[in-house]
Amino acid sequence: MPDPAIDYRDVQGTILRGYRVDLARHFILAITDAPAASALIGQLVDGAGGLPRITTAERWTVKPECFLNVGFTAAGLATLGVTAQQLATFDTAFQRGATSSDTATLVGDVGESAPANWIGGLSNGAEVHVVLSLWVDDDPAVLEAVTARLRAAFVGCLKELSAHDARALPNNEVHFGYRDGIAQPTVIGAPPRKAKHDSPDDQQQVATGEFLLGYTNATPGVYSLQPPQLSTNSSYGAFRILEQDVAGFEAFLTEYAAKAGIDVETMAAKVCGRWRNGNPLELVPDGHAPVLPSQQLNDFTYVSTTAPPDDTLGLQCPIGSHIRRNNPRNEGVLGTDSSHHRIVRRGMPYGPPYDPAHPDAVPRGLIGYFINASLTNQFEFLTGQWNQLSDFVKSASGPGGSSAGNAVFNISGQDVFLGVNDPAASSFTLAAVGAGGKSNTVLQGFSRLVTTRGGAYCFLPSITGLRYLAGLAK
Amino acid sequence: MANPLTLLLPVIPGTTLGKGLGEYISQLYAALASIGTVHYARGVFLDTSSPNLISTSSTSTGPFVVAVLTQYDGSFDAYIQDFISQAGTVFDALLPNVVGGAAVVPVADNAAAFQAFIKQNDASQQPPNNGSTYQAYAATVQQILASVPAEPSSNA
Repeated sequence: MPDPAIDYRDVQGTILRGYRVDLARHFILAITDAPAASALIGQLVDGAGGLPRITTAERWTVKPECFLNVGFTAAGLATLGVTAQQLATFDTAFQRGATSSDTATLVGDVGESAPANWIGGLSNGAEVHVVLSLWVDDDPAVLEAVTARLRAAFVGCLKELSAHDARALPNNEVHFGYRDGIAQPTVIGAPPRKAKHDSPDDQQQVATGEFLLGYTNATPGVYSLQPPQLSTNSSYGAFRILEQDVAGFEAFLTEYAAKAGIDVETMAAKVCGRWRNGNPLELVPDGHAPVLPSQQLNDFTYVSTTAPPDDTLGLQCPIGSHIRRNNPRNEGVLGTDSSHHRIVRRGMPYGPPYDPAHPDAVPRGLIGYFINASLTNQFEFLTGQWNQLSDFVKSASGPGGSSAGNAVFNISGQDVFLGVNDPAASSFTLAAVGAGGKSNTVLQGFSRLVTTRGGAYCFLPSITGLRYLAGLAK
Repeated sequence: MANPLTLLLPVIPGTTLGKGLGEYISQLYAALASIGTVHYARGVFLDTSSPNLISTSSTSTGPFVVAVLTQYDGSFDAYIQDFISQAGTVFDALLPNVVGGAAVVPVADNAAAFQAFIKQNDASQQPPNNGSTYQAYAATVQQILASVPAEPSSNA
């Protein structure tokens, strides 16, 4: 039986829609008075008392002044009155929380990235209750005016532990110089993206239930929880602050491009899977080629029956590259396939652009959410399995047969961007034709370039769920 | 180092499996091949009324235990949803006949409970049988498949 159509008015907007904005501010909040906080939630759902209204996934014809969404940690839900028995029905990873040592080990938040070092009060998971996210098109005055209204409303019910700003860089770039935000899953039943913004991939649409509870997911099954009011149309988000070492990345590219005998831009393309201008390696072998139109940027896969375009062996786009690890498309992997582990990315850069002529130590990186209906099977699976291991690829040789090599031997180490990358163990493989990968170039000894500076596992209730929470703590 | 699974599923006393064990097992094997982490697997039918658990009589009323024994690579927990996707229908058919099994069916909607049920019934995860095991090699299933032919060449 097919799923019912999604009522967009009941779904928080950021789950199904990317907001095309330049500015964001994420408030990390502790509940100091549960009944008062409950009441404030109700006001935000209605946009009452001059407060901004929680943005839904409903289509707008006039772009709103601001976009607002809210998530709650397990500690936050408990504080509002969700019972322990009910919380036990929530996603297992969510229950553990981002600061639990089991979580930290699993996702590689170790060493400098460990929760103990997190900023903004995020290291104390028990006190992080609410993440309230505000997005504004491009006017800082609007950001400050809405912030002031929110802060006035926090008084007496929420303590602001910190606020974290994001600001888009030109051309959708991120601090490592890549154009970002090209690939997002096409979710069954979700609002279609405008053609000018859309880079459809050649994969199947993804089951609704991978991003919303109460609909069929990829298993196929249905994620649900207690109480029912919090279940359907809700989701989860892994809120992350990821600091990027730009100088370190440029030094890494220079050093390792030389070791590999390739130029710096090719090295940047190989570790990512896309050239920094956004062109995918699978479609564009030349870094100087013009940027493909949006509709083509994502229209490729990895395995074909003919060569070209087959890239089973990762000769064009390394199997260990960032985009291929995080979305192997039709590549053979253990378990099932990529359609069972997709993720929606809602992140923006923070911090000023890095100027190599004037090096500084100002923090910069990416901040935002990884959204999914199962933190366990999506965010944590991607991070703990495909980004930190190299043995998840199935034995496969391309049309050239095993004398040309096998996919199993053409990946090593962890993801250059998201892995732990202890220099004693780090490794990145540039594959070449040859049985058993004997002609591969294996680059080793590089350090971690992205440090986790904060995180929180958030539950993103539906509007029905928010009204339920608004009435819960009395 | 691969991990052992010694799954012991007590059939509800006074009942049978519903269909032949062989039918469940062959469906399970097909799923395991697709999952790609299982080195070896076998299903064993045990009869607790026999002193050495080996059934000697087709008219025995048991109680019976179905054992599933495997050696598999990597994390079972991380792959639970994938495992359910591939093998869930086998367990949905089998578990209603197993003590405690009905509560976790359909497994696709009860992944956490199914995972807990497996752990509880996996002797290799419980003392005193959760110690070290012997393995002649450290290679994964996929490394082996990439290194040696899957089928021996025909010499008929």
